[in-house]
Amino acid sequence: MFGNRADSGRRRELALAATYEGDDPVLLERIVDLIDTIEIAPDAIAQSRGGRRLRSEILAEYASVADRVNFIAHGVGLSIGSYASWDTTYLELLDELFSRIELAWHSEHLTCTMVGGENVGSMLSLPHTEEALELVCARVDALQRRYPVPFLLEHVIRLLPQAPGTYSQAGFLNALTSRTGCGLILDAYNLRCDAINHGLDVEAFLAELDLAPVRELHVAGGVQHKGFQLDIHSRPVADDTFALALDIIGRAPNLRIVTYEFLKEAVDSLGHDAICAELSRLGRVIGR
Amino acid sequence: MSALERQQRGLLDLIKGRGAPPQDAYFAQVAHSAGLVMVREIALWWRAMQLDVQCRYTSRLLKRTSRFEGLVAAYFDAHATSSFVEELSRDFLQTLQTDADVLVAATAGFEYALMEAHADSSESFEILWDRDPDAVVVALEQRSALPPPDADWTYRMRVGAGVPNLVRCSRERKQFRVDNVREPIP
Repeated sequence: MFGNRADSGRRRELALAATYEGDDPVLLERIVDLIDTIEIAPDAIAQSRGGRRLRSEILAEYASVADRVNFIAHGVGLSIGSYASWDTTYLELLDELFSRIELAWHSEHLTCTMVGGENVGSMLSLPHTEEALELVCARVDALQRRYPVPFLLEHVIRLLPQAPGTYSQAGFLNALTSRTGCGLILDAYNLRCDAINHGLDVEAFLAELDLAPVRELHVAGGVQHKGFQLDIHSRPVADDTFALALDIIGRAPNLRIVTYEFLKEAVDSLGHDAICAELSRLGRVIGR
Repeated sequence: MSALERQQRGLLDLIKGRGAPPQDAYFAQVAHSAGLVMVREIALWWRAMQLDVQCRYTSRLLKRTSRFEGLVAAYFDAHATSSFVEELSRDFLQTLQTDADVLVAATAGFEYALMEAHADSSESFEILWDRDPDAVVVALEQRSALPPPDADWTYRMRVGAGVPNLVRCSRERKQFRVDNVREPIP
């Protein structure tokens, strides 16, 4: 068991995190001095060969820097909003991760990726209905009983028309956090995507949202394709996303971590230098 | 069926191009949306990218005849694709082992067998090739011309964790067998 290092220097109100999914020790060594926390996606470091489990070689990479950074988990495949069942395989991976690493908290996307046991191939946003809210709240409660650290949910971008519902997007999140006590991740890039793709009024959303449960902020950069801004973290952070992130940092009173997310598949095209430059830029903003 | 189940099942059918055209106003709106095209395109793009990496030779072979993207889409529509890339790749290759193109079937069978062998499966596999598999692999690796079918020889390949170097291949005259064990493919 490793992680959750004792305070090794000056305490900061706001910590900087980055995605790291393994297999690139040169990158790890370069970013580890620029950040406080590594974001681990359990599904992204898992393999199914010889049983579904976490890759031991990547866990060893994390162990090698455990005296220098903390760890948080951020899942992709739990499918907390599926009508039938969430993905129990993800929970098994999370169990394994908790048994190996001390995590400051864990989080998931507020989405449905599995329908009737079938992978949708996308992250579907949920209808803002009482039925969906009750389903997710019950599962959040179960997660909070199962694991001894805070649980956070992140809103996802929406590409499809919004299904009819009784809550606004912010109202749905407010009800979710007030009923369960769970935390929130705000993703500045996702909000920019929603603004570009279907005209989300980000200022109105933030004005309605209870920002007290927001513990983590995600920033990323992506591409436009056929008129859509895509949730594919493959670019440096655009200026408008950066400005929005600064605005949220100033408004969310309990924000603790800012995470720069990039896809493992995009590391080659981004380049180590660009990733480190983004982390340095963010580090300066949060006073690191 | 709850409203949530109906909504999620309806979206799955639309994304995977299944079922009858929707009568419901919301599903009709989704069906005609640019967002649906984009969701489907992204889902296929991710799977194509994963299969391209994991199924190196089969994907290269299929791209030569412009079949790759169509087969990935057909596979996605008809199967409950796994989120684990190894399972996705094995399932995809398995569906191609009955392909009408014998070279595609053999190449997919070869890559499938190699994945199983690397996963320490106790199973061993026999793959019949209508041409020299070494030359096929080299051509796919170097993106050069594929060898033509061999008029005189059939190539019998055995792949498994228990096979020395995982792969053995012998060739047989089409009328009678000749013991001619070849070196394993590197």
